Amino acid sequence: MIDFDNISKIYPNGTHALYDVNIHIEKGEFVFIVGSSGAGKSTFLKLIMHEETPTSGEITINGKKISKLKRRDIPYLRRHMGIVFQDFRLIEKMNVFDNVAFAMRAVGESSATIKKRVPYVLDLVGLKNKMKDKPSELSGGEQQRVSLARALVNNPEIIVADEPTGNVDPEMSHEIIELLNEINAKGTTVLVVTHEHDLVREFHQRVITIDHGRVIADTKDKRVSENPFAVDDFTDDPHYPDNAVVLPD
Amino acid sequence: MKGFGYLAKEGLRNVWNNRIMSIASVCVLVSCLVLTGAAALFSINVAQVVESVGDSNETTVYLKSDVSRLEAVYIGKDIEKLDNVVSTEFLSKEDALEQYKDELGDELFAQIEDRNTLPDAYVVVMEDLSLYDDTVAKIKSIDGVDSINDHRELAKKLTEISNLINIICVGVVSALMIISIFIIANTIRATMYSRRFEISIMKSVGATDSFVRMPFLIEGVVIGIVSAAVSTGAISLLYESVMSAITSMIPFSYIPLSNVVLYVSAAFAAAGIIVGFFGSFISIRKYLKKEGNEILGW
Repeated sequence: MIDFDNISKIYPNGTHALYDVNIHIEKGEFVFIVGSSGAGKSTFLKLIMHEETPTSGEITINGKKISKLKRRDIPYLRRHMGIVFQDFRLIEKMNVFDNVAFAMRAVGESSATIKKRVPYVLDLVGLKNKMKDKPSELSGGEQQRVSLARALVNNPEIIVADEPTGNVDPEMSHEIIELLNEINAKGTTVLVVTHEHDLVREFHQRVITIDHGRVIADTKDKRVSENPFAVDDFTDDPHYPDNAVVLPD
Repeated sequence: MKGFGYLAKEGLRNVWNNRIMSIASVCVLVSCLVLTGAAALFSINVAQVVESVGDSNETTVYLKSDVSRLEAVYIGKDIEKLDNVVSTEFLSKEDALEQYKDELGDELFAQIEDRNTLPDAYVVVMEDLSLYDDTVAKIKSIDGVDSINDHRELAKKLTEISNLINIICVGVVSALMIISIFIIANTIRATMYSRRFEISIMKSVGATDSFVRMPFLIEGVVIGIVSAAVSTGAISLLYESVMSAITSMIPFSYIPLSNVVLYVSAAFAAAGIIVGFFGSFISIRKYLKKEGNEILGW
């Protein structure tokens, strides 16, 4: 589904964000991307969304090489994805329904389809009774669920959540990841960028750890998923990250 | 395009939400269109005068002041004998004075009636204007003929003035058009800035560039259409009063507004739409190249 082959990214200001990254994500997987601030997580997401292009290497999504994608084809790539932002990015003047409907309008869906689909998706995230509310009338967790509904509404194959629990309380954080788990159970590939150790520990999913632009661990092993940030043991190895996935299943 | 109704509504909403800048854009564009329209109307009126003067086959032949009435009759017969001359009509100095009195008022001429220095003249009608120069030369060679009122010279001068005014207008209008495009581009940029959040979300969910662009293009085009409508109204109000003021000083028959108002409004609409469209297009092109947080300025 998503392949990163020898991806390096150097920004015009000289920042080396990613070094020779190789990642393969299967359709229907749930993956946590973890790492400290400035590790290269955001660059990883930007490359998937084609907001940035790699300096070298090749990214393949759904079997399509996207590094040399034409500008006019980028929107169609993004329609395979639903993005959830840390800061929700809801439009204040629009109510919950319109915020979700906005994503459908943006891809040219008809009013009839929107009227059917939006309540259905809001029901999935448990907000059907708040359709007329403005974002300011909702809690952080509810706002993030609206953001999730907006990401889901166009029926994407991949959900990319960038620190989705960064602005909500711990209880809600759990609920949101649980919701993403449910979505994943229906076959949607889910990528969650986070630095919340507890959540990662709780859900026992595949964890890709990025540090200083390198993948330093990529495993579903309990020892890493329970302690994804204790990666110093690996980084002394000069051949890293080739042998990052060294822990047995 | 799918969802055009929604996009059109968004475009109109942009105009309203950004009304101060929209009004500023309309004002600049209106001044530009009114000036262009005024220049064009002036030009077509001059062209009509030039045409009527230049194409007139009547030429006035003035006789020398010492020519007696009898000699004048012979001169008339000599002119009539020329191949290209269809008819001649004698215009005595007294008749000429009467004509002036009719056009300019009695008072001015009351004191000079006894000292009439106007010459006797013939109004000559020619058949073929392509032989005009040749015929004029022949008339000039007749003894007793003083000068010929060459309408073509007047037409030529009017055309020169008209051309000069046109050149000045083209310069002024070009400058104003550029300013209009610039102001509209800034208006749209202000709208885009206020809606950058929505644009970033639209792009993240896979809206095409043309979809993102459409409401802003509609905003620019609406500004253009409103400007065209205001300009047509302004020109209609100004034209009749300006023309009647001019014709009270220089009598000529001007083109009635009703004959040209359709063309003027169509030209205004076309110009308004083109300027509005390009103004929007320029500002959004730069914005559409941005991605993600760049759009938000983060």
